[in-house]
Amino acid sequence: MKDMELIEELLNSFIDGELDERKANEVKRLIDNDTQVRDAFDSLSRYKKLMASVSPAAVPEAFCESVTGRLERQILLEDTSGYHHNAGVRHLIIRRMMTAAAIIVLMAVLSVIVFDIFVPKSSRDKFVNNALNRKQKPQVLYEKPFADVKPAEEAVVAVVPQEILSVPIVAKLTLVTDSPVETDWLVGKALMNTGLFDKTVEIDRKTGSVKYVLSCGRSSLVNLLGELSFIWPKCTGAKLQIGTEQAGQYVTVDNVTAQQALEICKADSYGQRIRMANDIAVINNAAATDVLATYFAKQNTGSDLLIPEKPVLTSPEKTPQSISDISGGKANLTIMVIGG
Amino acid sequence: MVKFIQEQLKVAGNISIDEAALVAQARAGNMASVEKLILKYQDRVYNTILKICGNEADAAELAQDAFVRAIQGLKDFKGQSSFYTWLFRIAVNLTFNFCKKNSKVSFQSLQEETDEETNRQLKDYLIDKNIEEPSELASKKEVQGLILKALEKLDPQQRAVVVLRDIEQMSYNEIAETLDMEIGTVKSRIARGRKNLREILEAVIQ
Repeated sequence: MKDMELIEELLNSFIDGELDERKANEVKRLIDNDTQVRDAFDSLSRYKKLMASVSPAAVPEAFCESVTGRLERQILLEDTSGYHHNAGVRHLIIRRMMTAAAIIVLMAVLSVIVFDIFVPKSSRDKFVNNALNRKQKPQVLYEKPFADVKPAEEAVVAVVPQEILSVPIVAKLTLVTDSPVETDWLVGKALMNTGLFDKTVEIDRKTGSVKYVLSCGRSSLVNLLGELSFIWPKCTGAKLQIGTEQAGQYVTVDNVTAQQALEICKADSYGQRIRMANDIAVINNAAATDVLATYFAKQNTGSDLLIPEKPVLTSPEKTPQSISDISGGKANLTIMVIGG
Repeated sequence: MVKFIQEQLKVAGNISIDEAALVAQARAGNMASVEKLILKYQDRVYNTILKICGNEADAAELAQDAFVRAIQGLKDFKGQSSFYTWLFRIAVNLTFNFCKKNSKVSFQSLQEETDEETNRQLKDYLIDKNIEEPSELASKKEVQGLILKALEKLDPQQRAVVVLRDIEQMSYNEIAETLDMEIGTVKSRIARGRKNLREILEAVIQ
């Protein structure tokens, strides 16, 4: 059986011309001498002729155009798909980056808000200083009067008179009178005339005394004292107390006249005001002695006390007065009208 | 363009076209060279596929696929074998894959395909040996159909070998190269395939 299969293989190769010359001659001899092999060879030859005579089928029309069309389409698609792919990748990366940036910004904002709400200010400042690598200023545990004062060179830049004038005046004017009702009425009228009645912080009326507490501008105070000059003749005594730097400490000017009170309040600076008040107080005290009183009685100069030769005006620190000079600054005035 | 090339090929007749130059030009993207390659091999590729798969529409589609893949894969073509065997390897492999996916069991009897007269003539030719030349017989559509149907009954591997040898007239070496197998295997498969085909045909005409 195996021999027959081998012979058939040889016959097929012989028919197809795939044997070398030696083998081909052997197969030829076998065919000539063996009828069975000859029949097989003959059958194989006929079969081969039949198969070879099968006519080829015609290729479908426009086959080549179809193939080239498909090729061109695929080339275009490849280019397009590459383009879309790249564009898509780029778009995706940008979208992801933008999303990440938005999340980071949002987280930062939320962190700042939470930090601001929950962390105490001192810790916050410390954290910020550490984060910005800033040296923290040493904490001042004692008072340094000149620590924050700028150097003189820097202060030269703007010296404005109004700043000096802005030192507030704290004054208490005590008027002793035999006709308190009339005096009180006149004080009220003076307040109305100067428009300070509405600015009166407190009016305390007690039996035998009335107390007015005012908070106004310096110019308004000067105007008020000008108005109050009409009250002085009705008073048996007048005392002006000027507040000093130390709270509760006053310079007291006894027997002060309306003109003196006006001049003191017109003083340009705190120092000048205090100095003037002290001077007038000394003068008034001296004038209050019996000798002088007798002298004044003989001279028939009335009950007004000595008016000094305007010590204020002799001061070298005096500056020319102007409206602007007296228009600035704050004043707190307490007027006490006491029945005699 | 295609018609012009077809005319040129007809005029050229047996004049061999430099295949290597055509392949190089086609690889460079020259569509005219691509068309020349297609026109040169379209008949053989289509007929080989048709004989293996047995359906004209499928054969046309598969042949187109084979050409498209071959042209697109030219950049991978190293020239170790001829373009012809490389193209046929692609075509046969595609057809094998198609046949595996679309394997249908045909219960149709081959005897229904032919009439008695054709059967008698075929029997005379193969067994009684009264007819020397089968050209008249083979020109009959019925006989051609019968041969194709008999081929379909073969194992695909045997069918491919028989088709490449007896219809495509490839040498054993070319067949071995195309199907990527040893020459010994080609010889044995050709012998077994032809024997099986003869038996199938003889069973029809008995």
